[in-house]
Amino acid sequence: MEPTALEDMTMHQVLANLVEDSRAMMALLITKEGTVIEEAGDTSMLNTTAMAALIAGMFSATREVARMVGEKQFSILLQQGEQRHIHISLVTDSTMMVIVFEDYKIIGRVRLKARQYGEHLIAGLSRQQRNRSEKDEVPVSQFKEYALNLIDQIFTANEK
Amino acid sequence: MPYINYENKEISFKIVYYGPGMSGKTTNLVYIHKMLSDEIKGDLITLDTEEERTLFFDFFPLDLGNIAGYRVRFNMYTIPGQIYYEASRRLMLEGADGVVFVADSSPIRFDYNIMSYQMMEDNLRSYDLNPREFPSVLQYNKRDLSEAIELGSLESELGIGTDSTLGAVATQGEGVMETIRMMSKMVIEQFEL
Ligand SMILES: Nc1nc2c(ncn2[C@@H]2O[C@H](COP(=O)(O)OP(=O)(O)OP(=O)(O)O)[C@@H](O)[C@H]2O)c(=O)[nH]1
Ligand SMILES: [Mg+2]
Repeated sequence: MEPTALEDMTMHQVLANLVEDSRAMMALLITKEGTVIEEAGDTSMLNTTAMAALIAGMFSATREVARMVGEKQFSILLQQGEQRHIHISLVTDSTMMVIVFEDYKIIGRVRLKARQYGEHLIAGLSRQQRNRSEKDEVPVSQFKEYALNLIDQIFTANEK
Repeated sequence: MPYINYENKEISFKIVYYGPGMSGKTTNLVYIHKMLSDEIKGDLITLDTEEERTLFFDFFPLDLGNIAGYRVRFNMYTIPGQIYYEASRRLMLEGADGVVFVADSSPIRFDYNIMSYQMMEDNLRSYDLNPREFPSVLQYNKRDLSEAIELGSLESELGIGTDSTLGAVATQGEGVMETIRMMSKMVIEQFEL
């Protein structure tokens, strides 16, 4: 079988390739509001939901700090630990990529791959918006009806 | 606007608890988290100081389940109320779909409530949101205080409507679930594509 061309890959595949290619542990694509868009690699030991919320907070705080020193933003954040390190980079104005890796010596490679695959993620994100087919559309009125019902069930005062 | 992931069929809403320092925002969130069953909630994260004052935010994700083919999530946040955390407060409102304003019913905090509410309106405007149309619930917390301010007194000072106002005693869980229920419903009702 022909290997899938990067252009035809899902966002998950792109991210998985990035992890493999950079020899990182895992990668996340998150929104600046702190929601996980996609994840790949070994995320089993991590609470990725919490991580996304925290990193988004961290990133927005750093963006404010950047403004204070006259920069629009810092496009890359690097957190160096003892065993594990985190590379955070902007993909678009509203999304960022988080890469966790173990051997600090591969930092150069991580940085390079983050940039290369970042391009494909940008393409993937805009394709995702474009290719929203009819069947993907959320049936709004049905959605609201179900959701309102569920809310009544979930937020009752004496649950559990 | 909630974040919609069409590839993975997920919709995420963001709900923020706003209000002056010590009004009981964290107490609200902690109580809700405690009341929900384990299968639908994620860990509660609190970024606070040694005195348990919120430093950056509290957070937990809530999984509403599958609705019309989409996995729906509510991301629940509180902001730090203390005056000097203004920058972090504004950041937390970014991308919010609804805000619960937790007011302190203590008479001595009246001004502080008003100031904080106006700050919230400014913060919303900074994201091009119209505070008067934005889904919001006003909770008068600490109704157990003997000299609690009257319900409605903040709205008349602020010149806003009173149709989504509730009283609460967050430390005892009173009014807490009602508040989040009202908030969630407003958020869902405003949802459009
Ligand atoms: N009497 C009374 N005290 C309350 C009530 N709710 C909260 N408190 C108390 O008020 C104090 C502050 O509560 P928090 O929930 O930490 O307040 P907060 O709004 O998160 O404060 P910041 O994080 O600094 O903005 C705590 O000592 C609570 O126990 C209430 O309904 N009645
Ligand atoms: Mg707090």
